[in-house]
Amino acid sequence: MTAADTTHVDEWHGDDISIAEVQERLCEMRTTDGQSDLRTSVMTHTAWVPKHWLEAARGTLAGLAEAHPSRTIALVPDPEAGRDAIDATVSVYRFDLPGETRRVFAEVVELHLCGARASSPASIVEPLLISDLPVFSRWRGRPAFGRQELEQLLRVVDRMIVDSSEWEDLPADYALLAECFDKAAISDIAFRRSLRWRAMLAELWPGIADVNKVAVTGPKADALLLAGWLRSRLDRKIALEHEEADEIRSVSVDGEGVSAPRGEAPDPSQQLSAELDQFGHDPIYEAAVRAAK
Amino acid sequence: MTLAPELQEENPLLEGLGLARTPESCSLIIFGASGDLTQRKLFPALYSLAFRHLLPRNFGVVGVARTEESDEDFIERMKAAVQEYGRDSFRDEIWEPLAQGMRYISMDFGDESGWNRLSKTLADLDKNLGTAENRVYYFAVPPEAIATLVENIGKRRSKRGWDRLVVEKPFGWDLQSAQELNALLAKDFEESSIFRIDHYLGKETVQNMLALRFANGIFEPVWNRQFIDHVQITVAETIGIENRAGYYEKAGVIRDVFQNHLLQLVALTAMEPPIDFTSESVRNEKVKVLRSLHTPGPKHVVRGQYGAGWIEGEEVPAYRDESGCAPDSMTDTFIAAKLFVDNWRWADTPFYVRAGKRLARRETTIAIQFQRAPHPPFEAIAGEGLRPNMLVVHIQPDEGVALSIGAKVPGSGMTIRPVHMDFLYGGTFRTGIPEAYERLILDIMLGDQTLFTRADEVNEEWSLVDAIIAFWRRDKPVFPNYAAGTWGPLASNELIQRDGRSWQRF
Repeated sequence: MTAADTTHVDEWHGDDISIAEVQERLCEMRTTDGQSDLRTSVMTHTAWVPKHWLEAARGTLAGLAEAHPSRTIALVPDPEAGRDAIDATVSVYRFDLPGETRRVFAEVVELHLCGARASSPASIVEPLLISDLPVFSRWRGRPAFGRQELEQLLRVVDRMIVDSSEWEDLPADYALLAECFDKAAISDIAFRRSLRWRAMLAELWPGIADVNKVAVTGPKADALLLAGWLRSRLDRKIALEHEEADEIRSVSVDGEGVSAPRGEAPDPSQQLSAELDQFGHDPIYEAAVRAAK
Repeated sequence: MTLAPELQEENPLLEGLGLARTPESCSLIIFGASGDLTQRKLFPALYSLAFRHLLPRNFGVVGVARTEESDEDFIERMKAAVQEYGRDSFRDEIWEPLAQGMRYISMDFGDESGWNRLSKTLADLDKNLGTAENRVYYFAVPPEAIATLVENIGKRRSKRGWDRLVVEKPFGWDLQSAQELNALLAKDFEESSIFRIDHYLGKETVQNMLALRFANGIFEPVWNRQFIDHVQITVAETIGIENRAGYYEKAGVIRDVFQNHLLQLVALTAMEPPIDFTSESVRNEKVKVLRSLHTPGPKHVVRGQYGAGWIEGEEVPAYRDESGCAPDSMTDTFIAAKLFVDNWRWADTPFYVRAGKRLARRETTIAIQFQRAPHPPFEAIAGEGLRPNMLVVHIQPDEGVALSIGAKVPGSGMTIRPVHMDFLYGGTFRTGIPEAYERLILDIMLGDQTLFTRADEVNEEWSLVDAIIAFWRRDKPVFPNYAAGTWGPLASNELIQRDGRSWQRF
């Protein structure tokens, strides 16, 4: 399945709109060509996307919709907009199914929450959720720990997905994140990125059982979580030596290099897509976060 | 991501990694490597497994056939086959490691020196590739060649590793030959080493039948004679015999499709919930269904053979005019039957099944028709469109599930119209559906027999087929009795219409 099968069917934009208007537009767009197409959805996917993350988020979401036909609601907070309003862009994408006459649609609703409307996102999202399907939320950047917008969204979603490599204050923020574990299932793309390296480390069992030090060249978050994972799984103190890089380039344990994983690393859409296939709490990740502090 | 089996036990680092199990190091020996199956199915499946890092770390493939061919030519031919028939993009870095473990042996299966060369090649792979004397012997050969193969493999069993035998359909020609084949296999091999392939069982949608029934609370309570009026199973093909006259003239549709695919679909539809998803539990339940099948009388079975006709706008010849077919051939290319599963759950609920070649469209479905609503409280005209609910499991080509329900047509009246609620695999799980052979080859290497047919299942299937063939021998129908591009002989419609029902319309 390639992006070439995707068609941007329809788009509507409105400033200072009501959520009811968005709902009406979505219904209209479903029936514009009058054909009996599939409205298959597997979830509602929400994303909290501060403006400076918007382009990156759009790219990831574009790659994602193909794998997970869904309604995506991107919330772009703009508390400094100078007015209280919601501006919306509603898009419908069509995926042609090879060898079949029917097509599948995905909807993307981008809501700019201006002024005070940014402080209460759950009440905006709830009317747009697809009934009885799981709700995933991708929080771009550092979550607003302790603030209303995060607390509200945690109550609405089944799973919150973060990427702690987007945060600056590590490992201190892991302590704040751990406090959210009893409110919603949380997963972290930084932890997902280390999966291939964790599998390589698992191959070193049982020799790795007595490891004292792990050295990681890679993003700080990935390194902290990898070390936290080793500490929690092996139940021992393990020192971390970290050298910064844009992706995990090497790992060694007690000075011995670990073989690099085979094949190519998944791209950001695939990483997020893999997280969307997970349901419920991930106790392994939660333990790694607690041990990463 | 995968991990070798020896590293999978008691390793705290494995928990939560969600790694797929990787088979132990082994060699795959394909007898009949010059045939169509090897090119179209087996190698594309092996490549897809390699693409997903699901093959063993140390893996060799030895192609064996009578045709003279060098290792290099075999590798090139299989590379072209993967490029033509594979579902994944071709990448040298995936193919090369697979190709490095590929060998070809040209031999007559009865030739001792050929077996010695094969043994030496396998020993070389063990030594140089680390294939650990584990062997999968895949019989992509006509049934008459199997005895020689089994006998020779039995004499050369691996001393350190395991041996597994893979037998393609048809498994025998009747009950007696199937029993003889089972006895032959059992002489040197345990049942746990024998993998009888029915590739339908490797299809995602066939497995989804089990998920649909046993993972959803709403279906099982109504999955019985009280709520289901009847079941229809259709295995329709538009293709003819595709240069396989030698095989098909002897087999006919009853041995080619009915004995295996169709009866397996009946078993999966009618079986009781297994206590778990282990191979023995699932197969225990399937064999109970096969044992419960009431032998149909002559009036409940229709056979046919296609005459000339039109498929997709193209004129196609009659079966008897196909290359290699006898001009007076009495081989069946169509079968329809009304079967009964004589047990508590299904008593008096007919299973109408049909299979054929050169039918109007390619379609394999299981359709469950529920009882009509007992008293629709609508005016007569409003209720005209009210049809019984039907749950349709589409196995191919559009894999998915559809439930038809009656819905009100918008407007002031109360007109009811059937509408479909669709679940389409390709539209929901947009990850690409694996080919049946990928799943089955992987399961063989892992030693998982859940999706393979057990000896007693095969025997039950042949018992039923033998009974049908016995009464077929007593009469001589007028063939051909249906035109290519239609839905089979008129008698097929009469079979179901006698009961006030009709075949599902596609």
